[in-house]
Order: sequence, then structure tokens, then C-alpha cells
Amino acid sequence: MSLVILVPLLPLLAAIIVAVGSRSSQTRRARIGVWPIVAAFLAAIVTLATVSSQGPISLRFYEPGSAANPVLPMGLYVDRLSAVMMTLITLVGTIVYSYSTGYMYQDRGYSRYLGLIALTTFVLLCMVSSANLVMLFVFWQLLSWLLFLLAHNHAHAATLNGAFKTFTLLRVGDMAFLAGIVLAHSLYGTVEFQELFARAASTPIVLSPMAGLEISGATAVTLLIFVGAMSKSAQFPIHVWLPSSLYAPTPVHALLHAGIINAGGFLLNRLAPLYGLSSTTLHVVFVVGTLTAVLGASMMLVQNDIKKTLGFSTIGQMGYMIMECGLGAFALAVFHLIAHGLFKATVFLNCGNVIHKVRQEPASPHARHAVEAHELTRLTWATGFLTTLLLPFVILLVTHGALRIPLLESQGTVIFLFFIWVTSSQAILTLTRLRAVASWKVSVAMLVTLLFVVFTYLFAAEAFTHFLYPNPHEVASYFQASALPGRLFDGLVIGTTLLIVLGWVYLYAQAHGRTMPMPAWVQGLRIRLYVLFMNRLYIDALHARLGQRIMRVAHGLDKPSSGRLW
Amino acid sequence: MAEWMVLWLPAAVSVAGAVSGFAAWSRPTALKLWALAVSLASLAALVVWPGQPIGTTVGAPLLVLLPIAAFLSLLGQPPHEDNRAAWIMTLLVLGLGLGVLAARDGMGLILLALLLVVLVALLYRYRALSVSHLWQGIGMYGFGVISLVTALGAAPPVSAVAALAVCAMLLPLAPLHAGYVAALAGLPGNLPAFLACLLPVLGFHGLLAVFPHLPDDLKTALPMVGLAGAVYGAVKALAQSRVRALLAYANLSFFSILWWYVAAVRAVPPQAVLYLGAVGLATTGLLLAWYAIRARYGDMDLRAIRGLAHPMPRFAVLFALLVLAALGLPPFGVFSGFMGLLLTPTLPLSAALVLIVLAWLAASWYFLDLLQRLLFGRHRPDLRYEDLHRTEFAALLALVIILLVTGVAPTRLFESGTPAPPTHVATGNISWNR
Repeated sequence: MSLVILVPLLPLLAAIIVAVGSRSSQTRRARIGVWPIVAAFLAAIVTLATVSSQGPISLRFYEPGSAANPVLPMGLYVDRLSAVMMTLITLVGTIVYSYSTGYMYQDRGYSRYLGLIALTTFVLLCMVSSANLVMLFVFWQLLSWLLFLLAHNHAHAATLNGAFKTFTLLRVGDMAFLAGIVLAHSLYGTVEFQELFARAASTPIVLSPMAGLEISGATAVTLLIFVGAMSKSAQFPIHVWLPSSLYAPTPVHALLHAGIINAGGFLLNRLAPLYGLSSTTLHVVFVVGTLTAVLGASMMLVQNDIKKTLGFSTIGQMGYMIMECGLGAFALAVFHLIAHGLFKATVFLNCGNVIHKVRQEPASPHARHAVEAHELTRLTWATGFLTTLLLPFVILLVTHGALRIPLLESQGTVIFLFFIWVTSSQAILTLTRLRAVASWKVSVAMLVTLLFVVFTYLFAAEAFTHFLYPNPHEVASYFQASALPGRLFDGLVIGTTLLIVLGWVYLYAQAHGRTMPMPAWVQGLRIRLYVLFMNRLYIDALHARLGQRIMRVAHGLDKPSSGRLW
Repeated sequence: MAEWMVLWLPAAVSVAGAVSGFAAWSRPTALKLWALAVSLASLAALVVWPGQPIGTTVGAPLLVLLPIAAFLSLLGQPPHEDNRAAWIMTLLVLGLGLGVLAARDGMGLILLALLLVVLVALLYRYRALSVSHLWQGIGMYGFGVISLVTALGAAPPVSAVAALAVCAMLLPLAPLHAGYVAALAGLPGNLPAFLACLLPVLGFHGLLAVFPHLPDDLKTALPMVGLAGAVYGAVKALAQSRVRALLAYANLSFFSILWWYVAAVRAVPPQAVLYLGAVGLATTGLLLAWYAIRARYGDMDLRAIRGLAHPMPRFAVLFALLVLAALGLPPFGVFSGFMGLLLTPTLPLSAALVLIVLAWLAASWYFLDLLQRLLFGRHRPDLRYEDLHRTEFAALLALVIILLVTGVAPTRLFESGTPAPPTHVATGNISWNR
């Protein structure tokens, strides 16, 4: 049990080792500092094994309701979800820290930077193992502050602006989260997770904040807390802090995109029993997630900077993850955030090298775009056909037969499968533009890889769901709560199918030199959309204008009284 | 020791120390040491004979806070002849403040009137503000003296309303905050830093005493006034480019939240005491930190100085921590107090929570802006930078540690003399539930 306490404390020790000491010994201290984080990772693995076999570990350093308590109730509650997150965080923390010791070597803020990385790991670990909502909120806010510190460079104006925007937008989410906690405490009288879930389930409360408007207590609480999750996980329309923070050192992004940004997904999972009580909130979560996934991916396509491209890719992925929560697939969201975290950390750690290499070699990337093949070969077509039309049937059969998921009763799974289909189709559609795909080897490799990834994902996700939520009734209740209205669901399925089929028809026609009869306004719309997405939907400008408007009001209020003190 | 001696000893030590301090007037270093010793002696008198003054409702933590704040505000001062008057006045107002807290019945009001007269005299003597600001501050405290006389002579409820007006000047509440803003923005040396703690404690003490005697209509209206003050203070703070004015308006916003809370809940949990003390201490720390800058480069506009993080790293770290505490981030006392207030079971939930949260959010904006402007960006090459001296560093570090300790200390440490709301939850009593 004492091992659990060591998991968050060891990175704190690393932070102290690195940050405290003379400048002459900083390199040695930095090298020593990696070992406590490695030890934390090992301890996290042992904790995961312990929790898996013996159930949750709970350590409270307070007695609920006692006046002898500290003002901030601290404790640890480590269940399977926490243990999985701890393992991920310590793993990514170890990789990022080790990488940073070389990457940031000889930087003026070397010790400070490494200390902050270790401290962020500590805060993340405390957050995921929090015993109650208040403690979670404490570390949630500290994370906002650490992100501000990590995302900023003292002397670079654009970075400073980005860091300011990051912190203020994260604080918007923090305040909504705070309001959610206050409301939860007021309605249910506790901030302890298990008690809160039990009371919320046993005491349905309807609030009537204004005449004609009624809302359930669980919905009000979960909606407010969801705004907090939106801010940390960069959901539309408060995603703008993420691209603004891209000036930070590359390893920071690895930690940010693999660890910090997952806080929203973790929060929704931690409070899954509460979210399961509110269909309205889950639908809102689904809509926000879908919107973010679509817009994030669209904006990613038109960026011309590798870090921004990756940043918007993360926004899209986070949207996808939140959407999964909105579908009631909470465990899948965790599975997704782990997979995405590891993938994106690797990509970010590599992208720094790529940028350096490109700067040193003016000829890179090679400008041989003219030789791209535009025709669609039979092989390409066959690959695309197999992927988009045949593969879904195989997936459906496997899901229905082998995994025994009742598809007709589980909208969430159907939508999830549809998204697999959409994603793989998008990948194929993109790859058909490359000349290399005309090779049968590439086609086969691609199909096999795709099949392997999809099936591994399906089986692993299913197994992970059973691991994280062993009670199948609980999982079923989340799916049930998140069920969309029948017509909307049908519309979504039909719309997605049409989109895919039309995509292929368009591609086929274009490859054969045929022109599609398109109204002029559609062509105009394409250009407008391109400009719109390239400018990130002007959300940054809107935020800036809102800020200016607030300051103008403040100065307007101050100006008439400039001769007075009231 | 006789009871009256226990009650009055801390105040008497401070006042006597202030008077005898004139003997060391020509030797600034000796005077500073004397002032430090006297503030410690006041603290010792409170701690060694912990007979809590009978008239005091604020409790021991806030009582002890005053000599500590005086000591730390004095500690960070360079021994310079320009600061002598501020040191002696610190001891004098400390003595008067402790006297107000110790006194019963009318004596407290008389001492409070004396304190206001001293503040009026100081504002007039130093005249650091523009003419209109100066006269508004003086006028407000003059009005305070008249209100105190009214409170002494008139019958209830007029006396209670008059006393409440004085409370609103001390624990700032719009529209009676001009005196508080003038005191923080216009007085010299360490006085603003100390008054940022002293005045709100005195106002809070008065509020707790006078609140039960207020007319019901006024009691009902007070939460609204508190809410308006919280938003107004936040908006005004956003527009300030002078640090001391910004801190004064930020305090108006933060203390208005306390007004709203006390008036709405009609009880004082330990967290309210913690909140009051922590906001006061954080402001003391920020004013002291700003004094360190003023002592080096003059009373600059925020737009005229930047980039202190590199040339003044010790200052930067402590200033950043104080800003963290002031804007209400954990694990400092301001956050703990605020969370404690909001998690009171009897807190009535309404649209007021939205305004409170907005005012809280605005604090993140203007405090972060203050931090970025001062610490970051390219530093000016025409300035000769010098980091904190040992005493300045010690004073600010002590404040940061106290703020940290108050954030994680047991709740019972902050219990006051007034009843706290019940700790159990009455889920069924929430008025807007069905």
C-alpha cells in the first residue's frame, strides 16, 4: 500500500533533485533525476497489478466531516482507472524526461525546465489518484498553472501571448468545474466519489433555475464539470489555447499531447457513474466531441506547419475521445487516449529532429511533387473498395459473432464502428493520391496493416472495457443512457454512408477525367471553407475581440471615474 | 495578571513603542530594530497571555495576524530616513487596531475614530495621490468619523447603520471603498502593506458585531451590494495600470465576496476567517514586493517596467508565488478559504454563484497580466537591476510560507468567536429544488 504513495512522490523527489542545487552540478542532478521517475513507473506497474487482483486502494489523510481536517482534504483512491493512468503518465514522463536531458542540454533554463517536467508528472499522478472531487480540482488547477509555465518563454512576445491565452482559457474551464463541484456538494452533500455517485443515483433532484426551465441535478453538475473537461482537452470552441502554446519546447508537447490533454477524458471516466445518470449531458458531450473531431481534422488538413498540423490532429483526436464518452464508451475513450498518447508523444519527439534536419538541409523535403500520379489504377481502386466496402462487413461479422456485441441494441458501438470505417476510408482516400500506392506490395501491406490494427483495436478495446468496467450491466447502462433518438441515429448512419460512397464516386470520376456537374456555389464554398479552416474559423480573432471588448468596457467604466476613487 | 491588563497589554505595548520610537528618530537602523522588537513584543503579549479580548469576535488567528503582518512589513524595509514616519505610524495603528479589537462598547468606536483621524492626517501629510483622489480618501474617512460619532450617540437602528458604513470603509465595500483605495495607493513606506491586513480585520470585527442589529431590509439587500462590489472591483482592477490601485480594487472584489457570503449565510465558518486573513496577507506580500521595486526604480506605471525575471530571479520566484496565492490557486490560503466558503452546506445557491465565479475568473486575468508585465518580456537596458536584499527576501518568503501553511492547516485553527454554520447537509431544504 505504501508503494502507492511512492508513485506520485518519486517524481516530486526528482523535481527537487533537479531544481535545487548549484549550476555546476545541474547536468549530474538531471541524470540522477530520471531514476526516481523510472522507479515511479515500476511502482505504478506493481500498483496496477495489485489493484487488478485485490481491488481499489483507498488512503485518506482526513476524516470526512471532522473539524480537525486540513482545509483541503487529501487522500488517494487508486482503482483500475487510476492505476492505468498512473502507468501511462509515469511511462510518458520517463520518456519525455530522458529525452529532454539531451534535447535541452546547455539551455539556460535546463534545471528549471526539467524540474517543471518532473513536477508536472507529480501533479498529473496526484490528479488521477485523487480521493475526492476537491483534491482532483486542486491538482487540476495546478496543472493549468504548470502548463502556463511550460508553454512560455520569457523573452518571446508571441509565446507570452500564447501562454496568457492558455492560462486564461484553462481558467474558464476551471471556474465551470468549480461551479460544478459547488453545485454537487450543495445538492448531494459530499465530494467523495463513491458517496456522490450513490447519492446522485438514489436522490433524483430536479432544479428549476428559472421559470419554465427544468433540469436534473445530475445534468447541471455534469454539464458544468464537462466545461472543465472541454478546456483541458481542447474542445471546440475553447480549443484555441492548444495551437497558441506550440512555441514551447518540443518535449513539452510530447507530455502535453500524451498526458496533460488527456485530463478531460480521465475526468469524464472518473465521473462516469454520474454522467451515466444524464442522457442530456452525454448527448451534449457527443455533439461537442463530434464537432471538435470534424473541425480539428479539417483544420489540420490546411496547416502548413508541422507542429500546428500535429496540434490540430490532437484536437481532432481529443474530439474523437470525448465523442466516445458521449456514446457511453468510457473505457474506449481511455483506450484511445493511451494509444493516442503514446503515438503522439513519439511523433512530437521526432518532429523536433525533423525540423532541425530541414533547417540544415534546404533541399528537404524533396520538391518532386510534379511526378505524383493522378490516375486511379485498378489496384488502387481494388484496395479502396476492399477497405471501404468489404472491411466493414467483416468487422460487423466479427463484432456481432466473436465479440457478441448486440449491435442492433447498441447505437454507440455502431457509431464507433462507423467511425472506424470513416477513418480507414479517409486514410485510403488520402493514400490514393500518392504514386506509391499503385504497387501491389503497398496495397497488400496497407490492407494487412489496416486489418491488423482494426482487429487488434476491436479485441483489445473489448478486453480493456471488461478490465476497466468489470460489471457488464454498468457498461450497458452507459450505452443505454447515451442512446440517441432513433431518427437522429438513422440520419447519422445514412449520412455517413452517403459521404463515404460519394467520396469514392467523386474520386473515381476525377481519376477518369470526368467532370462532375457541380453548381458554382459548391466550388465557391470549397474555396471559402479552405480559407475558413486555414484561418482556424477565426475563433482566435473572436476570442481576441471578446478580450478587447471586455477591456474596453473596463476602461470605459474606469475612465469616467478617473478623477474619483469609486 | 489582571484581566484588563491582559486585554490591553498588546495594544499598550504597540502605542508605547510608537511613542518611545521617537527617541531613536535620528538613527534609522536603531528605529527599525526597535519597531521590529515592539511588533514582536505585541505578538508575544498576545501569545504568552492568550486571554482573548472579550469584545473580539474575529478570533485568535486574526488577532495574531496583525502583529505578524506589522513585523513582516517592517522587516522588508531598508533603514532609510524617509521610512521612519511609516514605521512609527505602523506601531501606532497596530496599537489602535489591537485596542479596537480589545475594547468593549463605546471605547472601541472611539479608538476606531482615532485610527481614522490618523489615516486622514497621513493622507493629507503625504499627498501622494492626485488632488481629487486625495480628497475623496480624506472625505470618506472624515465621513467615517462622523458615522462613528453617530453610532455612539444615536439609537438603533441608526447607530447600527452608521457603524455598518464604517465597516464598509474598512472592509472595503462599494460605494464606500474610496478611503481604502486611497490608503493603499497613497500612503508611504510599509503602511499600505500593513493596512491591507489591519483595516479589513477591523471591518470584519465590526461587521460581526453590528450585523445582528441591522434592519431586516438592509440584511436582505447586503448580499446584492456585495455581489455588485465583487464584479465592480474586478472590472476596475482590470483597467488599472498602477500596481497599488490594482491591488486595492482586487481587494475590493475579494472582500465584497466575503460581504456577500456573511450577509447571505448569516454565519461565520472558520473558512471565512481564513479567507479574510489570506487575502490580506497575499495583498501585504504583493505590496511589499512592489515596494521593493519602487524603492529601486520609483513608483512606475506598469507599462514602464518589464522583464524582471532574469535580472531579479529571487524577486521573480517570490512574486510569482504571491500572485499565485492572490489569484486563488491552491495550495495557498486564499483558495482554501474560498473553497471552504463555497462548500458551506447552508450556502444558498442562485445566480449569485455565477457572478462570484466571474469575479474570481477576472482575478486570474488581471493578476496574470500583472505578473507577465513585471516579470517577462525583454528587460530595460537603461536600468541597473538589483535583486532582493536579505531582509526583503526573508519577509516575502515568510509571507509565502504562512500563506502555504494556512492553505493546508486544520480547519479548527481558524475558528472565530461567532457561531459557524452547521456541518451537516440538508439536501431537502434547497429552495430551488422540487
